[in-house]
This record gives sequence, structure tokens and C-alpha cells, in this order.
Amino acid sequence: MSATAYLTGFGSYLPGEPVDNDGIVTRLGGDDPVTERIRRRVLDANGIRQRHYALDEHGEPTELNEELAVKALHAALSDRGIDAADVRMLACATTMGDVLVPGFASMVHGRLGGGPKQLLSVAGVCASSLSALDAAVSKVRLGDHPRAAVVASELASRSLRQRRYDGIRSGMDAHFLRWMLSDGAGAVVVEFQPHPDRPSLRVDWVRQVSLAHEHDVCMRAGMSGPEPVVGRTWQDVGISEAEAAGMFLLRQDVSMLDDLAGAGIAQFEELVDIGLIDVGHLDHVVCHYSTNAFRDVAFDALRRRIPTLDTDRWFSNLETRGNTGSASIFIALDEAWRTGRFAVGDTVLLAVPESGRFSFAFAHLTVVAPPARAAASRPEGVST
Amino acid sequence: MTSTTTDTLAERLADVWADLEEHLAQVPILRRLDEGTVTLDDYLRLLFNLRQQVVDGSLWISRAASNFDVAHFELRAAAIRHAEEEHRDFLMLERDYVAVGGSLDELRAGRKNLGSEALSGYMFHYADRPNPVGLLGAMFIIEGLGAQRAAGWAARFQEVLGLADGQVHFMRYHEQADSTHTGDLDAILTSGIIDDAAADDIVRCAQVVARLYALQLEELDR
Repeated sequence: MSATAYLTGFGSYLPGEPVDNDGIVTRLGGDDPVTERIRRRVLDANGIRQRHYALDEHGEPTELNEELAVKALHAALSDRGIDAADVRMLACATTMGDVLVPGFASMVHGRLGGGPKQLLSVAGVCASSLSALDAAVSKVRLGDHPRAAVVASELASRSLRQRRYDGIRSGMDAHFLRWMLSDGAGAVVVEFQPHPDRPSLRVDWVRQVSLAHEHDVCMRAGMSGPEPVVGRTWQDVGISEAEAAGMFLLRQDVSMLDDLAGAGIAQFEELVDIGLIDVGHLDHVVCHYSTNAFRDVAFDALRRRIPTLDTDRWFSNLETRGNTGSASIFIALDEAWRTGRFAVGDTVLLAVPESGRFSFAFAHLTVVAPPARAAASRPEGVST
Repeated sequence: MTSTTTDTLAERLADVWADLEEHLAQVPILRRLDEGTVTLDDYLRLLFNLRQQVVDGSLWISRAASNFDVAHFELRAAAIRHAEEEHRDFLMLERDYVAVGGSLDELRAGRKNLGSEALSGYMFHYADRPNPVGLLGAMFIIEGLGAQRAAGWAARFQEVLGLADGQVHFMRYHEQADSTHTGDLDAILTSGIIDDAAADDIVRCAQVVARLYALQLEELDR
């Protein structure tokens, strides 16, 4: 028999004040007419109205990625009313930590403190958040840890600044992400018992699948084309040569994104087909996507399966919190939870497509009431 | 007690067991377990209280082993084996305690409850006697609880609190381990090496241990 895993605490951290579309240039630069035109176009397509950067008004970094992660963890632990010392496992996801070595989770744990812990650093892109969640949930269900914390954190902005683009040939593949990504962190607490006093989210299952075997790289940095070549990655050539070749720009092959949306919908359909998702009892969908264009594609697909699905059951805060990569799903879940969208008995599907090389992660949650209080409050030793 | 002097040792011990079962049904934590109102805190408290006595288990068994003379060679051999098998048991209990969120430092710094003090004190005192054959009665109770009740308690804790197998190792393990021990014990009790005086000692010891074990469980709610 395994235990059950519950999400009992939620937190997020978005650095600085929200930055609207007109405030981007002061942080990231790129005020020449050509860049300006591209930016307008990308922003029109993605629908993001405001986001946060860990950069000051001159574009200088204000925080480390590990600091964002720790602040989100503090928020989640405080939401649950426990300390870092109460957590025996820490699973951390990020696309790029602050340093090359050691792993991101080691740095987050070092800053967080709270005694010995099992650590997991999940490297990847957007879906790494749910891979970290999956690992923590599995260990809790095995009975190895009573409590774990999961955090996903991104500080992409520093590599989106103008100095990275100066003198480098960059097409739409580099601009698309530049005007889309921003910074933030989201965290959850996972436990083998529900929250004692308020509802929790029971984790029914987590599924992650990669289709890298049949797809080329879609999102990349560190190589000059879609295929890595022996002796030609950023670690092989000189750093200045790698920079001049534009290897440090985060790029996305936008022509593959329609395929990504189609593949994501096929994965959702498969989960319905094998019975893991019962569309008759699916109350909420919290989905990560990079632009509103994909929201519409995904929404149409869901409508085919769930004709009664109305737009209130669909939640995303892309437009106001930005696309924070792996952190997005936890930042959205935190807001959905906090704003009272979920009622006891409701089911929630988390969905995270990852363009990197076509990965998809889903988690199915059910809102459960706190345990009955009668037993806990009865005086000890009093017979009834 | 309904037994008479003509009852066999097995029948007399069965009566002691029946009394114990009746007593256990009134123990608050076991009632809550039965009713399904037991809490995680109850499970932690049970492990915490048991640990302080379980940690002494192989100590009194090995003390008893050292007090059997050559005329009781088989009993000495059995006690030595048994002590060796039991002396890591409390570590399993400690891992369960940590796995459900307890602190190992606090557990190890804990002290016995009043029932555990009485039980442990009685066992050490008895084990100090020359040829403490009566302790077979203690084994009958303690191993019997392990073999016949612990796994049921574990399953019920799992059912009510949603615990993983990895959080109830100690109680589940005892179903198997103590069944082996009670099998060994049955072989000794029916081997013909127990005379009438020894049988009286065994029954008396079983009665005392049954009462003190139940007291230990009652005391954890104080």
C-alpha cells in the first residue's frame, strides 16, 4: 500500500513591480525601429500585458534565480504554517540556474537551510516543474518522506538584454522568446496527510512523456543549429566564439509550434482514452502556454471533448504574470487556489507542454476537505 | 480466571490471552483504532511509547540467557538466538517514526511511560533470577501480540490514516517474525521439559506481563 500525496501549501514570488509593455525597453533594451516593430508584433501575438523582471530600471540584475526560488518556497511554507526544517525533500526545477555547477537544488537548499534534505535538481524547460512534482509526490507516496517542497524558478531576463543581441544575427527564433519570457518562481508543499484545517489538493496522478524520439529540437541555446555537433557546442569552442555565433541566445523554432500544440492535444486525448481523465468530471484546467494563440487552439480541442466547458473553468495568468517557463504552472495554480476558484470535490488538470524537444506533463488533482475534526478534538481517554 | 489445576499449560495460557484481549478492547487508543477515529498523532504517540520499552527487549532476553545453566541448555540457546534477532527491532520502529514526520532526536530522548517502566522493570527483575523459565510466559504474551495483533493494527492504521507500507514496517514485520518465535515457543512448551512448577511460573509471568502491557498502552493517553 502506498500513501496519498496532497498539496497543502502554495506560494509564488514575482520580483519587482509589474512591468507593462511600454516598460520592457528600459529593462531589456532594443529600442531601434526594427526591434521595436518585432516587439510589437510578438506582444500582439502572445497577449502578455504585464510581467516581472529581476532587473532594475537600468536593466541590472536585482536578484539571483536561487533567491526567487527561496522566496517562493518561503511563501508556500508560510502558507502551510511550517518551516523549512519540516520538509525532508526539496525538488527544484529551472531552465538555467545561476551557476554551471553545482546543481540548482544544492544552491536553493544552501540558501533555504532547514536541516538535511533529499535534493533533486530537474533540468529541462517548462515541464521540468511537473517532473519535480512527480518525484516529490512519488517519494511521499512511498512513505519515504512525510513532507516535501517543490519549486520551479526562472530568471530568463538577464539573457534577454540588448548586450546579448548586439552584433549577433538573430531572427524571429531569438526575438520570439525575448519578448515573451520573464522571471518568477512558484512552489508547493507536498504531504502524506491533508491540511488539518482547510482543503487540500489531492494528487491523483502525474504523467510526463517525451516525444524527442520523433521531433527535432525546438528550443535551444548552446549550439549554433538544431543539431549538436561534436566539438562545436558552446563548451568546445571559445566563449567569445560561442557568443559571436549567437549560441547564448535562447531560440525557438517558431515553425514547429503548431506541431507542438497538435502533439499536446493528442497527449490529452490519449489520457482521456485510457480513462485517466474523465471529461464528465473535469472541473478546471490550469494550462501553461506561451501565447494566447495556443490557448485558443487548446480550448477548441477541449471543447470537442467537453462541449459544456465554459471559459471560467479554464485558468491562466499568462497575460498578467507573463510566461515564466517552468515556474508558470505553479504561479498559476497558486493564484487559482488563492482566489477561491476551486470547491471541495472539484477536479483540476494541470497541463504543461514543453517546446524544448516536445515534452508534455499533466497532473490530475482533486480538492479534498480537511479531515473530520471530531476525532482530533475529542479529549483523550474519554470514552463515548 | 476459569482455569483449574487440571487444565493443560496451553489451556491456562489461552485463558490469560482471552483476558488480555478483553482488556485491550478497553484501551483508549485501540478503541479509537477500531472505531476509525485514530489520528496521526495517536500513531506517533504509540510508536514513541513502544520504542522506549522495545529498545530494552533484547537486553532482558540476553540477561535471561546468561542466567540459564547447562541443565537448561536448549532454553539458553533459544534465548540467545531470540535476543540476536530482536536487537535491531527498535531501529525499524524509529525509521517508521521518522517516516511519518517524527523527530529522531526527540524519540531517542524520550522516557518510558508508567506502564513501560513497570513492564521493563519486571522483565529485568525476572531475567535476573537463576533459570528464569517463567519468562516463557512473557514471550507468549509479547510475541503473541506481535504475531496476532500487530499486523492488524498496522493495516487499520494504514486504512484510517492512509499510511504507506514504509511507514508501518515495525508492526508489519512482527506478524512474520513473531509467528516464527511463537512457533519456537510452542515447540518448547510442548517438549516435555516444562514441569508443573515451571508451568505455574509461566502462567503467572504471562498474567503479569499481559496486565503491564495493557497498562503501557493505556498510559500513552495520559
